[in-house]
Amino acid sequence: MSSAHDTSGLTRQRYQRIVYGLVAVGIVGLVAGIAFDAHLAGTVIYLLGAWAGAGIAYGAPRLTDATLQDERDRELHNVASGLTMGVSMTLGIGIIPALYVLDAGGYVTLDGAPGGVVLTLSALYLLYGVCHGIAKRRV
Amino acid sequence: MENDLSERRSAAELSQRDLAEAVGVTRQTINAIERDRYDPSLELAFKLAGHFDCAIEDIFDPE
Repeated sequence: MSSAHDTSGLTRQRYQRIVYGLVAVGIVGLVAGIAFDAHLAGTVIYLLGAWAGAGIAYGAPRLTDATLQDERDRELHNVASGLTMGVSMTLGIGIIPALYVLDAGGYVTLDGAPGGVVLTLSALYLLYGVCHGIAKRRV
Repeated sequence: MENDLSERRSAAELSQRDLAEAVGVTRQTINAIERDRYDPSLELAFKLAGHFDCAIEDIFDPE
């Protein structure tokens, strides 16, 4: 049986503070890099913070007996993901296919930022379909 | 789904953190169950029932 405390001394609160703190440092570094025209340094700080935070977020629950995440966290993640995809698809599915047809017909031109948004959303829906297929094989 | 987890926990003189540690979840999850904001998985419901030495339906009421 797992517990909220173990011999490592890592608690849920400490775990969250470390992960969020590292990501926050990365974001602050990135913004500072932009503000002070030190883009490379800002990028390095961001990547270090983001990778370290993501590494701890993924690795710590596997390396300790402490309860850092539980079934409610997974439920929250699933609900939030479902809402995100639901809203995105409600807006996107009704418009994006039509935009592709209109683009092919020469009525509109999908380029620049709008074109990037359409391509990104299309890739997201494709990825969702793949992930849904994988999930169906497991559940 | 309603439950009397809070009453059972108080009767056993356990804090939310104590109960959370005993069944392997976070204190926030116990709090959410007690406030009827989260329905636990079957696995967690069995753990809670086992901890209080009763049946699941003694704690949780689907009505």
